[in-house]
Amino acid sequence: MLPQSMGSETNIKLPFSFIIFSTVALVASQILLLFKGVMIAEGIFRTPAVWSAAHLLILGWALMTAMGAMYQLVPVAFLTPIWSEKLGYFQFFISSVGISLFAACLYFYPQYALFPGLVTLGGIVLFLIQMFMTLKKQAKPNVLTLFVGTALFCLMFTIILGIMMAYFLSAGTSSVHYQAFFQSHLLLGIAGWFTLLIFGFSYKMIPMFSLSHGYSMAPAKYVFGIYTAGLALSLASFFTGNTLLLEIGFFLLFAGFLLFAVHTRSILKKRIKKKLDKPFTFTIIAIGFGTLIHLAAFLAMVLHSTRLGGSLIYAYLLLWVALSIFGYLYKIVPFLWWTHKYSKEIGKKSVPSLKEMMNERVVIPIFSIFIISTLMVFSSTVFNLSLLFTIGQCLLSLAMIWFSISLLSVIKK
Amino acid sequence: MNVSEKVLEELKNVYDPELNINIVDLGLIYDINVSNDGAALITMTLTTPGCPLHDSIVSGVKFCVEDMDEIQSVEVNLVWEPAWSPEKMTPEGLKMLRG
Repeated sequence: MLPQSMGSETNIKLPFSFIIFSTVALVASQILLLFKGVMIAEGIFRTPAVWSAAHLLILGWALMTAMGAMYQLVPVAFLTPIWSEKLGYFQFFISSVGISLFAACLYFYPQYALFPGLVTLGGIVLFLIQMFMTLKKQAKPNVLTLFVGTALFCLMFTIILGIMMAYFLSAGTSSVHYQAFFQSHLLLGIAGWFTLLIFGFSYKMIPMFSLSHGYSMAPAKYVFGIYTAGLALSLASFFTGNTLLLEIGFFLLFAGFLLFAVHTRSILKKRIKKKLDKPFTFTIIAIGFGTLIHLAAFLAMVLHSTRLGGSLIYAYLLLWVALSIFGYLYKIVPFLWWTHKYSKEIGKKSVPSLKEMMNERVVIPIFSIFIISTLMVFSSTVFNLSLLFTIGQCLLSLAMIWFSISLLSVIKK
Repeated sequence: MNVSEKVLEELKNVYDPELNINIVDLGLIYDINVSNDGAALITMTLTTPGCPLHDSIVSGVKFCVEDMDEIQSVEVNLVWEPAWSPEKMTPEGLKMLRG
């Protein structure tokens, strides 16, 4: 028998700071898209308002949420305490100031976006140092370390490419590789960082929340190999202009994702908890959406329907990345608050279960509106229907604001 | 009922807040040893290594048993081997989980 000291004690202040900031950024991005984003319906994505809203959504919400979640999940998944909590608070301060100024500059003065971009970069670099130092301390690295470590490398390169593009913009110069930088920035940021990160933590959380036992983890290394090969080939194609390479790359990305979906299904088949929590069910549904969008991206590539690129990226961000994060946040936030409020009461008196910390009745309406409205906005961008965009975006903003309120209402429990 | 059995009964008041099932029916308690001078050594596990509720559940076990008249001190020995498996659950626990 091996007694363990795990260091998985949860300091709720740090992850909570990130999650509260990210929730405000989410609401702000939605308001901005609602009032200034109507040009998206005409396929015009490169406007200051869309840049600002996109970065508020991706950096302010998704990245800050991912960072906050990692401050809680890394000690849990890797049985390793965070390297430096002080650095964590400092990093939060730098990142939140940087992202706020960056989003404001992209909207009002895009030509001056470089400086706040560098501050944001500073915050992200501090986060990367924190995580690499933490993972370095892990006693027994495993396949999850591979997913999360590679996701962190992808984040690093995404940011470097982003800063180079901001430099070109501010200096008024251009590069023959600008388009390749832009495509690589998107691919590494979305599929490299977010997808590999979600894959990695899902391998810990899906069995944990479904109480699955006796499943094989062998397919995980094939998921990793195929998906990262897809990333590498796609990146190579951006710089060489070789379309066959891009088609193979996108096929491998789809195949890797499909294998992840099949593997997840096999894990869930071994579950003991038959009735899954509702938010967690939507996290599983997100895997289905991710698979379909990867297939659509591959088909669009083969059929040369490049016009669909922006719409598919939008759908991927919302129906895979955001939906997964939404589902997990419904588990993470109640856990953090429960730990703060009840961890010292357990065994002394009756305490609520984690499920009782949230109002589960609102989950199906919120998530359903979210999915339907995202599909409406997606369709509006495919068919250039501005009225559908406005209706869809109104509903989507409503769902996201309702989600934010529902999530933060946990503090009343 | 001897003291160890009383401790086991008392531990049914400690619930895993994620699953909302008490830790005895979940099969997390491996062994209870109470010495003549009232020092309890509880050997237990969790459903997964790195369970985020690790600290809360272990403290819950301590608080719960410390309150018993027969117990003077409590030590919790958290182990990962043998690993927890569904077979360790009681029929009541399984029934609650499977709904």
